[in-house]
Amino acid sequence: MQRPAPAKFELLVRRDDTEDFELRQVASVIGYLNSRPRRVDQESYEISELRSRLAAAPGFILKNKTTDRFLLLSAQERFLWDQMDGATALQAIATAYVLKYGEFDFEIIPSLLRKLQRAQLLTFEPTSRLRAALARNRGRVIVKAIELVLTGLERIRISSHNVQSFFQALYRYGGFLLFTPIAAIACAVLAVLGAAAAFVLFHDVHDMLEGFGGHALRGILTVKLLFFASVALHQFVHGLACIHYRRRVREFGFTFLHGFVPTFYIDVTDIFMASRRARVITAVTGALVHLALGAVAFVVAAQAPTGSFTQAFAAASGIIQWQALVIALYPFCFIEMDGYHVLVDVLGVPTLKPDAMTYMKGLLTGAGRMRQGREELLWIGYVALSALSVAAFIAFNVWIIVSATH
Amino acid sequence: MQASAETLAFLHDVRVFEAFADPDLVALAERLRERELRRRQILFREGDRGDEMFIVRRGTILISKAVTGKVEQVLVRVEPFDFFGEMSLFDGSPRSATAQAETDVELLVLGRDSLQAMTETAPRAAAAFFYAMVQVFMERLRRSTQQVAEATRWGLEATGLDVEAR
Repeated sequence: MQRPAPAKFELLVRRDDTEDFELRQVASVIGYLNSRPRRVDQESYEISELRSRLAAAPGFILKNKTTDRFLLLSAQERFLWDQMDGATALQAIATAYVLKYGEFDFEIIPSLLRKLQRAQLLTFEPTSRLRAALARNRGRVIVKAIELVLTGLERIRISSHNVQSFFQALYRYGGFLLFTPIAAIACAVLAVLGAAAAFVLFHDVHDMLEGFGGHALRGILTVKLLFFASVALHQFVHGLACIHYRRRVREFGFTFLHGFVPTFYIDVTDIFMASRRARVITAVTGALVHLALGAVAFVVAAQAPTGSFTQAFAAASGIIQWQALVIALYPFCFIEMDGYHVLVDVLGVPTLKPDAMTYMKGLLTGAGRMRQGREELLWIGYVALSALSVAAFIAFNVWIIVSATH
Repeated sequence: MQASAETLAFLHDVRVFEAFADPDLVALAERLRERELRRRQILFREGDRGDEMFIVRRGTILISKAVTGKVEQVLVRVEPFDFFGEMSLFDGSPRSATAQAETDVELLVLGRDSLQAMTETAPRAAAAFFYAMVQVFMERLRRSTQQVAEATRWGLEATGLDVEAR
């Protein structure tokens, strides 16, 4: 469909005390160039520098203190943000940008404006892309049904915003122990023991899972459901780490992610205002819950009688826990989990995945062309490794199920 | 006003008088007044009292509404055979917008007294007039709705608001 011409107004501007006037056509694009974006009051936001040894330029984290939304900004975006004082027109901001950076890539400006509006740093409440796409196709019965189901599921949200004192108490009465050298050593020992047990067990997966009594698939699904509880524990440890670094836990709850993925969640985004070390430890410690639980499960399975229900159940639990560990920490799987956040933090490229996907999409559709730079290599590497990893993950699970059922 | 053949031919092409029989059109023409405006002359301002409607015979009238300070938004250009100011003709309310000649203009003026007289002496013509007027009102209402949508689009484009994406 052809894009409509920019909307325009015709204005009549009077001269002083006469009947004389001037007519002016004002297209929306003129309005846009002359608009004066204003950032929220200084008390409503916080900005923190994000230095990286690898990235050439520093990044910045911008926090909306009212809504607790965070944005990662490049140095250029930070410069543009500083210009948005409500007095400088967008055209002047663009000129300043060219003078400062010598670049004519003005797409950065509307892109940043959209980001800021979404984070309510220039104000606006957006809607979900998925929901917008569904709304566009509401005429189809199946789409309408999906929309109804998603709406219903999205309403299921159990959460509390008053969890800071709870997590502080949990930390005070024992949670702090998780952040001591002894806990780190215990975790390492458990990992070694678990790995040794798993090595022994995996000599014969079929014998190991025989304890499910011919209902291996049903048994594994039961273990998956129980695993769900450990996800809550994972989130609890993220919260304790946040308290450890004296930042605030904003929310803890249960919801259906994207309307269909049941999950526990915790809002520890305040940790972005702390050091990189704090961010990395907060991300990693949550996932270590799966390392510890999986190791214990493998050790129990190794000690249990071969072919017993205990062994099958424990071994399946161990597999699932360690899979969860890998998924959480392994950054190359197209999912923005803990490991991905650590990677982009260390590299100093907060938009790695969207940039990589856009670049590859351009290459595959012929819209973009191959370039040889550090960023392009990073993007290609990310997509290639992620695609291989997802394929390997699926193959491994198929092998487990086939081995268990034959 | 003496009804010339030229005036009668002109009135016959004005939408609200299209259904008039010739004797009714002659009677109407005799009740109309002529008025001329020089270029840029203001006919009335927003908020003025009024009880007349105007038919443009020659030239162009700009209808504008105050927005801020010395700035007004042009709502419409009234061309020959079209009319304006009818709201005050019916209810005597203050003018809702300003009318100013964009060029030299010739107008025909229909006052409330003339309309009242027409209703009493030529009820069939009056009914045709009101029926046509309702149709024009509906068209203008549709145009106003379209203008609201267009104003919203202007605002979205001018501010770069991204209302589709999260």
